Amino acid sequence: MRKLKALIYKDTLLLLRDFPGLAMMFLMPLALVVLMAYLQDSTFNSINEHKIPLLILNQDRDSLGDAIERSVSQAGIFEVDSLENGQPLTIESLERAVARGDYQIGIVIPQNTTESIRSRVRQSVMGAFGGEADTIISSDSISIFVDPTTKNSFKSTILSSIREYAASLQTDFVLREVVLEVNTVVPVPIGDIDIPKDMVLLKEQYARLDQGRIIPNSVQHNVPAWGMFAVFFIVISLAGNIIKEREDGSFTRLLTMPCPSWLYLVAKAIVYLVVCLLQLTLMFLMGIYVLPRLGLPSLALGQSISALVLMSISASLAAIGYGIAIGKVATSNQQASVFGAISVVIMAAVGGVWIPVFVMPEVMQIVSHISPLNWGLSGFYDIFVRDGGLESVWPESCTLLLFAALCLGVALYYGRRKSIR
Amino acid sequence: MKSNIIDISNLRKTYRGNVSPSVDGLTLSIAEGEVFGLLGPNGAGKTTTIHILCGLVRPDAGEAKVCGFSVLNEMSKIRGLIGVVPQDFALYPSLTAVENLMVYGGIYGLPKRELKERIDTLLATFDLTTSRDRRVEHYSGGMKRRVNLIAGLLHRPKVLFLDEPTVGIDVQSRYVIMENLKSFNQEGTTMVYTSHHLDEAEHFCTNIALVDDGCVICQGEPHALIVQEQTENLEELFLKKTGKKVRD
Repeated sequence: MRKLKALIYKDTLLLLRDFPGLAMMFLMPLALVVLMAYLQDSTFNSINEHKIPLLILNQDRDSLGDAIERSVSQAGIFEVDSLENGQPLTIESLERAVARGDYQIGIVIPQNTTESIRSRVRQSVMGAFGGEADTIISSDSISIFVDPTTKNSFKSTILSSIREYAASLQTDFVLREVVLEVNTVVPVPIGDIDIPKDMVLLKEQYARLDQGRIIPNSVQHNVPAWGMFAVFFIVISLAGNIIKEREDGSFTRLLTMPCPSWLYLVAKAIVYLVVCLLQLTLMFLMGIYVLPRLGLPSLALGQSISALVLMSISASLAAIGYGIAIGKVATSNQQASVFGAISVVIMAAVGGVWIPVFVMPEVMQIVSHISPLNWGLSGFYDIFVRDGGLESVWPESCTLLLFAALCLGVALYYGRRKSIR
Repeated sequence: MKSNIIDISNLRKTYRGNVSPSVDGLTLSIAEGEVFGLLGPNGAGKTTTIHILCGLVRPDAGEAKVCGFSVLNEMSKIRGLIGVVPQDFALYPSLTAVENLMVYGGIYGLPKRELKERIDTLLATFDLTTSRDRRVEHYSGGMKRRVNLIAGLLHRPKVLFLDEPTVGIDVQSRYVIMENLKSFNQEGTTMVYTSHHLDEAEHFCTNIALVDDGCVICQGEPHALIVQEQTENLEELFLKKTGKKVRD
């Protein structure tokens, strides 16, 4: 115990005397979490608040045309114009305005659109009662012009929204016309058929394990994401520390002393475990108390503190194992810091720290599973977003601990090869 | 007659990638209480021999015993009985002298109070009391050498391995180190010493072994060897035995 205490004392002092290293381990991730959460939150807000400019030419001037115009105006996501610079629109001027990018969407509802539908309904009803139908009035179809620079995904979303509105209006309209036509042929007139629009209910909500009410937000992504990044960034300090001891000969002296080399690693692991847990605690506190003061949502820690502790320790040990392995395998401090920094940044990018995994392409979503940062992040998502407990996080926790064990195995193998020749 | 504290028998070691052995059938014995000089040109095998005795290098063949324990399978028993003063400073530069010594003494398992007293005594002995709380990185070469030496003496080792303990320091620091080493030897610590300062070795060592190409080429008391080989001093004896060709 006395030996372990001495080694912990040594590693604590070495760490405390390394001010740039400490600053990098604590200040950088705190700054990043504020910056990234703020940036991403602003982006989400701007997407939600930004209205899509839409130009509409209603040549129909009848029920359906008016209903479409009213509907897109009331949708809340479009900024609807029916005049261009105060001038009445034509199909050509509307198309030019959209092509120039002044508007992202242009809708042309041609003349007689309503009357055309009305005549088709009339024909159907009369046909059903064995009567003779009038001639069908023809009309051009409704045209939708889209800005050519609009992304396909966005275009699809907009078009499907417009189609949805149109289909809904068409149903209302057809029903009304059917009633009118039926009343002309039946002896007892019938009233309007009122079909509720929400017969098929769609309820959107985030998947959760119980009835808590947490909605994922930029803080709930960024705090654990940058927490994982911070924890893994200790590899630079840890590996550098190991290499420095090897280079200045103090590790060689330790090998001549009555102290097993695993105890030397255990002491380092204990000191850096405290550092990692401090980092994560600070990040969580930041999410709970500081970020809300900047107008961001507050971090909710979920229901299971034991799961949070388990994930924090597992993630920390994985990072410590990785740092020790780099320290033992690398031949110089420069090699360790360059490799350590680059590998952590790559693992962070792949693992969904910078960009959440769910917005990545499918291939990258599969690739993300190789990153230990992704395992940690998934575990924290389980706790923060899904209110998961120990039973939810054990797979991620075990994977991280297995990774830590693998890294320590590599470290011990290389350590033995290098120290005892 | 004093018993041997170190026995080396037919020791061999060839490093991976090397063709010629660094230690090639080396055999020698060191009696308890001696100051034993292991001398030789660069690449002669003296550092490898000391590294084998300290457990840093595993021999390919042969046997070595320190304090009666084999380096092959009883290193854990040997480590608590030996002190090592490496040629590199082997100190933590960002820690003060006291902090460095508290760490090393703690690893040797010394109780805190005893360790503090021992550190105070040794710092005073080596004239470092006034700078005890300065970081080692701000020390001169001579001060670092003295702290390096104290770190090897903290636990009162039976055998102290000194790998060029006075290299690169001024005359005053060298004098303080050598005088104190003599008094520690008189208190019973056996010393195994390597150095290229042959005049220093001539006066300091009670016995020497000249090593070249991994084996002992002559062994005995320095003055007896000088007389026997009809040379003026140890340096002349050294050149006579190992030649004048430059070694890398």
